[in-house]
Parts: sequence; structure tokens; C-alpha cells
Amino acid sequence: MERKYKFRHSIVAGCVSFVIGILLVFSPQVWAGQSHWLKVDGLACPYCAYGIEKQLKAIPGVTSVSVSVKTGTVTVTMREGTKLTRARVSQAVRDAGFTLRSFR
Amino acid sequence: MRQVTKFLVFFCLGAMNGAVAEAAPISTNTALPVAKGEYVFREQGVLSQSGDDTSGADRDASVALSSTVLGYGVTPELAVFGIMPLVNKRLQLTTASGQRVTRRSRGLGDMRLFARYTIFKQDLPGQTFRVAPLLGIEVPTGDSSKYDSLGRLPAPLQPGSGSWDPFSGVIVTFQTRQFELDFQARYEANTKANDFEFGDVARLDGSLQYRLWPRELAEFTPGFLYGVAEFNLIHRDNNRRNGTSDPDSGGTTLLGLLGLQYVTQRNIIEAGIQLPLYQDLNGAALESGYTVRGSYRVNF
Repeated sequence: MERKYKFRHSIVAGCVSFVIGILLVFSPQVWAGQSHWLKVDGLACPYCAYGIEKQLKAIPGVTSVSVSVKTGTVTVTMREGTKLTRARVSQAVRDAGFTLRSFR
Repeated sequence: MRQVTKFLVFFCLGAMNGAVAEAAPISTNTALPVAKGEYVFREQGVLSQSGDDTSGADRDASVALSSTVLGYGVTPELAVFGIMPLVNKRLQLTTASGQRVTRRSRGLGDMRLFARYTIFKQDLPGQTFRVAPLLGIEVPTGDSSKYDSLGRLPAPLQPGSGSWDPFSGVIVTFQTRQFELDFQARYEANTKANDFEFGDVARLDGSLQYRLWPRELAEFTPGFLYGVAEFNLIHRDNNRRNGTSDPDSGGTTLLGLLGLQYVTQRNIIEAGIQLPLYQDLNGAALESGYTVRGSYRVNF
């Protein structure tokens, strides 16, 4: 009886571990690579922010882009193992019609 | 009928004010950028109405217009636009015999194609200043030879002009997080078709957009609500019919517009009402009345 109970426990524990593992594997947090912060000049309204977001998201390795009109800051998160260069970012911001002030 | 013709000329001018599709004023163009490879789409509905005719003909006219705008960013500096209107023009008047008649036309209007190139920009934190000339042409896609039971419709009542009409101008924009100013100077050279030539048009447009909400910006704000105030100063030369200048056409009109605009990262929805503030028309003519505008824009 006790052996059967232990077996059930093992099955449940295994399933839970499997689900947690799946969640971890597909969680962007786990795979979130380096984040970069851009200061963009000329950005003054939400509608214009879309162009920047679109251009940056087209860069290979970019997983998320977040634009703050208030501060003129753009946060770009990269997939692990990929790299974002200032030259590539500068081109993307320029293609959106704006000017890159700083990149880190 | 000449007065009718003149009236409709200004009526249509008010309705077909050529604002396009960026984050922009309601009836004025802007020099704000269209990103490279980005499309902007705008659907605008315009309703113009006028009456209060003192000529005895008791004229009442309206223009309902739906215009579809598509813009594309070729480069960060160069954007191209196409505007295709659908028009529904109606004129009611009492004839000399006392009969009340209605003349109307509907269909595709004349398509406008133009390119805008940013020749100067100065970007600073939270603000931008831009200057962009534009060059375009109005293509005679609209029918200009419609008839009704009373005969051929007068040229201004036709959906299209029948002529290829070039236009050019320059737009100046200054935008901050709190407000936006746009100015446009434009000249439209109308050419002859069907022995009729609309007078050339020179216009000055100005707009102020002021952020009403949110009063204080948060780190990530879903959208802005702008109050919009615009003016359009429009001067049109006399029309020419069979090579002869029509003294009862042309003149100067100053229009004012008040509206609201909600802007998000992908969409803009807006509405405004436009009223004539000043009209100095040649000869005796029925003056323009109000114009209501509403539109939706999306970028993709």
C-alpha cells in the first residue's frame, strides 16, 4: 500500500517537474538576453513610436521593444547569444525618421 | 447657375482639404516622418452643408465625401501618398418657373498622388522640427461628363474635373510632447478639360494640436488626447469657361476648425467641425456653411 502511494507521489512529482520545465524552457524571462537602452531624439507622440518599434523589431535577435515617449527612451531586449550593435540601432532609428542620441 | 457653380467650387475646396495620414492635424498636412517600409492608411468622412440663400433660388447644397488615403515610406525622408475620394454632391434649387429641383452626382472623384520629401529636420529630446516640400498631381479618375434629366451637370457638380492638375507646396512642423504646430503653403495649378478650367488655388493652412490628456505623462502612456484648432486660408482665381473668365467665381475664404483627436501607437481617431470665418467671394454667391470631419488612421 505504502509502495503504491510512493509511486503515485513520484508520478505527480514527475508531472509537476515536467510542466515547470516546459514553462521555464518557453519563458522569455529565461531566454531574455541582454537589454539595451536607447535615447531617441525627435520622439514626441505615441503614433511616431510605432515606426521605431517596427524598425527595431526587424533586427535579428530582438525579442522585445518598449518605447517611452515621456523619456524618449527605447528598451530593446535581445535573444541570448545575439548581439546588438550601435551601428545597426542607429540605422534602424534613422529608417524610422528619428535620431539616435545614445546607446548602452 | 453661375452662382451655383461658384458656390460649389468653395464647397468642394472645404471638403477636399488634402490632409493625409500621419499623426497629423485633421485638415492640414504634416512633415512628421513615415518610417521606411511603413504604410499608413486613413479613411476620412466629410460632410459639408450650406443654405441660407438670399438669391431667391433658395439653394441648398451638400457634399458628402469619403476619402481613402494610403501612404508609404520609401525612405526616412521620402513618403508617397495616394488619396482616392468617393463623392456625393447634391444641389437643390428653385427654378424661375417655381419648380424645386435636385441635381446630384456620385461616384469616384479625382485621385491625388503626391510625394513629400523632408529637406530639413532637427531632432532634440522630446521635440522635432521639420521642413518638407511636396509635389503632386490630381488625376482625372472621376467622371466629368455626367448628365441628369436637366442636361449636363455643371463642372463643379461633376464627381471629377477631367483635368490633370499639378500642385506643390511646403510643410513646416514643430512637435513637442505637449503640442504640435503645422503650417502648409500650397499652390494648385488647375488645367482645362471639357472647355472648363477651375481657377488656380493658393492656400495657407495652419494647425495647433495641444495635448489635453494625460495632463502628466506616465512612463508608458497608451495614448494622447489632443485638442485641435486649425485655419485654412484659401484663394481661388476665377474659373474660365470656353476661354472666358467667369466674374462670378473665385475669391478668398478663411476656414476655422475645432476638433478632438485620440492618438495611440497604431491608431488615430478624430473628429472636428469646420466653419467659415471670413469669405470674400467674387460676385454674388452663396457662401460656404459648416463642414464636419471624422477619420480613422492606422499604421502598419
